[in-house]
Amino acid sequence: MSSIANWFGTMDSINIGLIVSGFMLFMVIIGVRVAFAAATAGFVGLVWIFSAKLGFEKGLLVAMKMAGTIPHSKVTTISLSLIPTFILIGYLAYHAGLTKALFTAAKRWVGWLPGGLGVATVFSTAGFAAVSGASVATSAVFARIAIPEMLKVGYQKSFAAGVVAAGGTLASLIPPSAILVIYAIIVEQDVGVLLMAGLLPGIVSALIYAGLVIMMATINKDLGPPVRKYSWGERLESLPGTAPIFFVIGIIVICIYGGVGTPTEAGALGAFVILVMALRKGMRLGDLKEALIESAKLTVMIFTIIWGVLLYVRFLGFADLPTAFSDWITGLDQSPMITLVCILLAYAVLGMFMDAIGMLLLTLPITYPAVIALNGGVDVSAVDSAFGVSGVGCAIWFGIIAVKMCELCLITPPIGLNCFVVAGVRKDISVQEVFKGVTPFFAADVFTIAVLIAFPSIVLWLPSLLGI
Amino acid sequence: MSSSSDILQDDSALSRLDRLYFKLEEFFALLGGITILLLVFLAVTNVIGRWVFSLPVSGYIDWVEQSMAIFAFFGIAYCQRLGGHIRMDIVVSHIKGRWLWFCELSSTLIMLIITLALIYGSYLHFLRAYTNGDSSMDISLPIWPAKLVIPIALSVLAIRLILQIWGYSRAIINNCDSPVAVPLIEDAATQAAKEAATVAEKHGLNGEDESEGSIK
Repeated sequence: MSSIANWFGTMDSINIGLIVSGFMLFMVIIGVRVAFAAATAGFVGLVWIFSAKLGFEKGLLVAMKMAGTIPHSKVTTISLSLIPTFILIGYLAYHAGLTKALFTAAKRWVGWLPGGLGVATVFSTAGFAAVSGASVATSAVFARIAIPEMLKVGYQKSFAAGVVAAGGTLASLIPPSAILVIYAIIVEQDVGVLLMAGLLPGIVSALIYAGLVIMMATINKDLGPPVRKYSWGERLESLPGTAPIFFVIGIIVICIYGGVGTPTEAGALGAFVILVMALRKGMRLGDLKEALIESAKLTVMIFTIIWGVLLYVRFLGFADLPTAFSDWITGLDQSPMITLVCILLAYAVLGMFMDAIGMLLLTLPITYPAVIALNGGVDVSAVDSAFGVSGVGCAIWFGIIAVKMCELCLITPPIGLNCFVVAGVRKDISVQEVFKGVTPFFAADVFTIAVLIAFPSIVLWLPSLLGI
Repeated sequence: MSSSSDILQDDSALSRLDRLYFKLEEFFALLGGITILLLVFLAVTNVIGRWVFSLPVSGYIDWVEQSMAIFAFFGIAYCQRLGGHIRMDIVVSHIKGRWLWFCELSSTLIMLIITLALIYGSYLHFLRAYTNGDSSMDISLPIWPAKLVIPIALSVLAIRLILQIWGYSRAIINNCDSPVAVPLIEDAATQAAKEAATVAEKHGLNGEDESEGSIK
């Protein structure tokens, strides 16, 4: 018995880190909720490390005290307060009738193009993304609104379904994006800066999708015939319904970029406007209550992940594991770019089998310091770095690319949730057809990621205006 | 990112307790939601006060930080009851019968243990703030109420976890396929169909009958 205690006591911290991380992986596989698996691993690790130094009883007490401070201290920071406001916007947007208005407006403005309704779908999902942070919900909504119209004018089923499934993924980059906020908190970067950084890549993704739709519809005329041209009167008439979206985007840009308000204030103003709009559209008290409870539920889920992962991060700091991993990665005898691509490929493969976002958050505490080290460290300047971005720039750039990778996982078999959602809404379209239709967009996403890796300035241009 | 699972019910004591307790959890979640709404109003007042009257809300940051504990924690048991905390179920969704319930029982036990440890730790955290009389930076609000929120919310969660452990144990003993009072695993297709259904409900969209302004 005492020899086992000795064995536990004498193990070096890196091995403890590895064993505990392995234990966390085991918990995740047997289905422990991700947030609690991370928290348990962090707690067990702290107990182990302190027990080795102070004896079990004292070590346990120290670990409990330390773990007990984390939920409160990590959660009650002002920068996190924007999460619930953005979530509330997302739930209220359903009631404000914005989706239909957006699609109608987009149809009237760009419907005359080859594949016009597809292009309209891409732009309206991008617009809806500006008030909603959730990809899956976006696909579900537009599967109801856009697919019937596309089929009516003779679009191929798989093509129409593919556009909607892919369009939904835009929500994760275009602010407000829940994943980007969590990323910012875990890697300790400015939330507002990351949200701004997501805007341009989000727009680029949308434009690439739109270009792809036009190209495909031009080459194969049967794929998506254009609809009639609308007069300028009809076009302008469709705009007022979408005004709240532009208002929310405007507020976010003015507040964050103009520096006249915090991201939370931007989110709150947006939520307020959408609430007024929803009430005007006849939202009942029961609907509001439901939206509030749903918002509270999603908020709690996100916050639980944040403190759970941060408890694990606290332990990792003691175990020195991130440093050891960084040293190993930077010591590899290959170009840093190849290593980065390998990390991203690992995410793509893992994302096929587990929830991409959970996976990203669990692995970030170890991969993030490694990527920063690969680039040349926290304080490196753009000129001396491996990827051509400064230390802070690398934190932002990697975040955007990692999130884009997660989104890619939403449209890859076997568990690409967006595709299942579209097939779930449309009983006449099989999941296989959706996956087939989404394949060109998958290729487009890979292209987008390559472009973002090759030209970090697309990600970093807006934040650079903020002085980063 | 979030999903809800079906919770079956019957006339057993467990199921009745589950539904009764769910009312309490829902109330806590609603308090969290109302706090979010109040945060929105507070932030809007603060912005408008600052822009128009150059008069921001006094102690704005203190109020926000203190209220955050409520919406970050109060719904935690509600979310657990509905199976809303994300997890990876690609492995467990392939297991059936007793083995599945055993797996679920183990993972719920792990969650209960960490929750109990955190209740004690966060209670000590609260106690220190209470006995020292710690207060916030700006307008000196006492900090202990916000810190007390965490052991309370986690205790509500612990009782929920005990109910779920009861549910899974019963499933193992009775060897039944569809136990009551616990979230059941759904495949991606079912989950998606449900997500789609809730969205449709909210939109008042039924089938393919699409006319402008059909959104309620």
